[in-house]
Amino acid sequence: MKPSRFEYRAPGSVEEALPLLRPESSVLAGGQSLVPLLNLRLAIPELVVDINGIAELDYIHADDGVLRIGAMTRQVVLERSELVRRRWPLLHQAVRLVGHPQIRTRGTVGGSVAHADPAAELPVALTALGARFHLLSPGAARVLGASELFLGPLHTAREPDELLVEIEVPEQPEGAGSGFAEHARTHGDFATAGAAAVVGPGGHAGIALLGAGPVPARADEAERALADGAEPPEAAALAAQGIEDEHRRALCTELARRAIEQAAA
Amino acid sequence: MEAGLSAGRLIGHPVRRREDERILRGRTRYLDDIDPPGAAQVAFVRSPFAHARIGGVGVPDGLEGVFAVLTAADLEGRVRHLPVQGFEGGEVSTEGHPVLAGDEVRYAGQPVAAVLAESRALAEDAAELIEVEYEPLEPVLDARSSEVTMSRWHKVSGDVEGAFASAAHVVRASHGLPRLAPVPMEPRGTIASYDDADDLLTVWVSAQDSHRQLAGLANVLDRPEESIHVIVPDVGGAFGSKGAPGPETMLVAIAAVMSGRTVKWAEDREENFVASYQGRGMEADVELALDDDATIVAVRARIWADLGGYLMPTTAIPTHTTAMLMCGVYDIQAADVEIVGKRTNKVPTGPYRGAGRPEAAYFVECTVDVAAKELGIDPLELRRRNLIRELPYETALGWTYDSGDYERCLDLAAELVEPERRSDDERVVGTGFGMYVERAGGLFETADAELLPDGRLLVRSGSSPHGQGHDTTFAQVAAERFGVGLEDVELRFGDSKEVPRGVGTFASRSVAMGGSAVVQAVDALKQKCEAVEARLGRSVSLREIAVAEPGLRASARFESDLVFSSGAYGAVVEIERATGALRVLRLAAVDDAGTIVNPLLAEGQVIGGSAQGLGQCLVEEAVYDEEGNPTFASFVGYSLLTAAEMPPVLTAFVETPSPLNPLGAKGIGEGGAIGTPGAVANAVADALGGVRVDPPFTEDKLWRALREAGS
Repeated sequence: MKPSRFEYRAPGSVEEALPLLRPESSVLAGGQSLVPLLNLRLAIPELVVDINGIAELDYIHADDGVLRIGAMTRQVVLERSELVRRRWPLLHQAVRLVGHPQIRTRGTVGGSVAHADPAAELPVALTALGARFHLLSPGAARVLGASELFLGPLHTAREPDELLVEIEVPEQPEGAGSGFAEHARTHGDFATAGAAAVVGPGGHAGIALLGAGPVPARADEAERALADGAEPPEAAALAAQGIEDEHRRALCTELARRAIEQAAA
Repeated sequence: MEAGLSAGRLIGHPVRRREDERILRGRTRYLDDIDPPGAAQVAFVRSPFAHARIGGVGVPDGLEGVFAVLTAADLEGRVRHLPVQGFEGGEVSTEGHPVLAGDEVRYAGQPVAAVLAESRALAEDAAELIEVEYEPLEPVLDARSSEVTMSRWHKVSGDVEGAFASAAHVVRASHGLPRLAPVPMEPRGTIASYDDADDLLTVWVSAQDSHRQLAGLANVLDRPEESIHVIVPDVGGAFGSKGAPGPETMLVAIAAVMSGRTVKWAEDREENFVASYQGRGMEADVELALDDDATIVAVRARIWADLGGYLMPTTAIPTHTTAMLMCGVYDIQAADVEIVGKRTNKVPTGPYRGAGRPEAAYFVECTVDVAAKELGIDPLELRRRNLIRELPYETALGWTYDSGDYERCLDLAAELVEPERRSDDERVVGTGFGMYVERAGGLFETADAELLPDGRLLVRSGSSPHGQGHDTTFAQVAAERFGVGLEDVELRFGDSKEVPRGVGTFASRSVAMGGSAVVQAVDALKQKCEAVEARLGRSVSLREIAVAEPGLRASARFESDLVFSSGAYGAVVEIERATGALRVLRLAAVDDAGTIVNPLLAEGQVIGGSAQGLGQCLVEEAVYDEEGNPTFASFVGYSLLTAAEMPPVLTAFVETPSPLNPLGAKGIGEGGAIGTPGAVANAVADALGGVRVDPPFTEDKLWRALREAGS
């Protein structure tokens, strides 16, 4: 469990980092997934670009009601943010379920998004919230939605020369509630299934499932049903209806029900 | 002696572990903390196939930083295969595990070659470049269908056929316990260095004792024991997996002799998962014959053990233990038990906390509950009707249980656990019990007591700790017997040149055997001190005795037959209907380990053992895919319980002293791991209305079982 040889660079700014990125490079953020992958030689990059020294990517603030999270924001900072807890409580609920405190102290919000583990909590919560993801490359910038970014397990639309720099979360409707429910083998372990829900007045609903497919999936049909006045159990069943395995379907239905009921309470 | 006046009674007191301050402050020295300058670091080339023929091993030239690459061909004539231990009445294959694979590999993870390099990272780089030609063969993954038997034991006692033929009821059930990974916090490791001038091989090894390592090394390397010095540093857990030395330790030792370099192998977590021997992995068909009043008159069992690709030195031992305990705590006059150990293409199994006892307890106790259900009798009542009540008791299978009060244990467990059975729209709740009797102790253990010049007592113990707390419990025993304070007793362990030849820490044997050796050595030293005092003709201090007669010393070798700890466990569990998720609401653990030297540490052993038993129930299982690849090579694929999953564990001790040793002690190291699975399994079956599933009780299994139960 020693990594194979790689070159190591630690740029101090986004401007310095961007020209280093290439297909043979890996970006080291909090290292909670990449370092084990390196040690197991499941990742064998030629170059590791360590962005821990890029202070400009460490921030949480709200402009015009929109939450902006710098990619290098530690998960523990998100967890302890009063602003987030008050106005985007779903993120607070979700981040508390990420690993253990030690992991959240090093792990970053951007790292979790860019790693795109299908068992990760933050991508699912951000999907339910309709978050948008800012990517920069030398001379270009683009913004993707969750369905555009997450393509498969550990696979995103980020190009090798792009860096995820910011996560933007839209303002939630006044009076919206949120819920997050998951099932894991043990406390702090990877979730085997989960659900995130935001339910607001006027038919607003955002529901996403974890463990229902290769990427965080927005449950459009369930959202519409809720907007049309369906009860949580009915919406939950719709959210999980496409899952083939009977038990997994039952598990996701139950977790979706809990998340929706928590959000609607 | 004056010092004796101030000393109090220590045996039976909850003394806090005096080794903890050093451990918690990081002042311990584990194997990987030993860093001999210039040592060659070892990485193994391990088989990626469960079963394959090896065509050849190609070593490219010019590997960076590499001192040597060793293959089976290089070891030809220098090492033997690992030895195999048999057992009484068993037919056990004598073919041991090769140090490095020759022309065949029999499990994924088996060492094929070893790279010695400047650093572990360079060694791993080079290991990836070694070209091994594998010709994959069909793997055998199921013990029942394996055609190769590596061990067999069969015993018929009493009129079994007659009992079954005339029985009022015959109950049949099949059960299985999957393989588990031991997962000690510190993986294995070995450092060896060879002094050519003195022909002395020094081996530091993370192990459960020094002398079994010494004997194993002497055998495999074919060297006189006097030419080997084994040092066991601080050890961060083993759970059985650091008993007999494995092939990697042998390789490191022979590599040191061959290369003249100091050689170090510190196992990483991935290697520990795939290559350290595993526990459990048994299936059984069990039948009970009962008469009209629900007396169990005979037991018949056929058991299959999935032993893996080779017999490690102690692989076969747990099979014997399982078979011999198939009468459990019950007075059953006739028994027919056969256990076959089958070769499969998996890493070998070996003694893992419980080592055959949890399997027997699980098979017997689950079958008793099936019988209770079929006969319509309360499971507690069926147990009470059949418990052994007069001890010592010789079982139909031939072991003599020395002491115990099984009914008292059961009564206490029932009282503590507060049985419940209920069901509503959201969840079902059930209660179950599991009893056990375990063989503990046996063989011998040693100690050596010396009066130091300052009047303090030094005890060298043949038994060494790897987390049990010997430094505290043995000091309690020594201080009380010698009549001094705890602070006046120093203990030393683990160095084969310093401590007397012992057996080791396993089989719940340390206090009963090692503690009794301490008693005898200290008592003998005390007599010598008293003789000196008598000669001096006045009351003197220990320091004065040490001055009058320097180097006073006494040693003891304590031998005894097996002692038999026992216990009763109760569990209340809740299963959620919507998801099948299991929650253990509470666990009652009642153990009879005879005299308890330290109730605080004993309870710690019970809780730790229960956590492992619960781990087996809730999440642990070493799963191989259909090609025989381990899916559990990291903590992503293998889960351990955390404190958050632990239910309240309500503990109690029943103390029926063993008549076989001066302390009256039996053993407490394994009871939790032995008693818990049966209790939880029976509670799950109770909640499911009698539907039975085997561990781990994952939510998908229980969800499907709930539908089957239709409740």
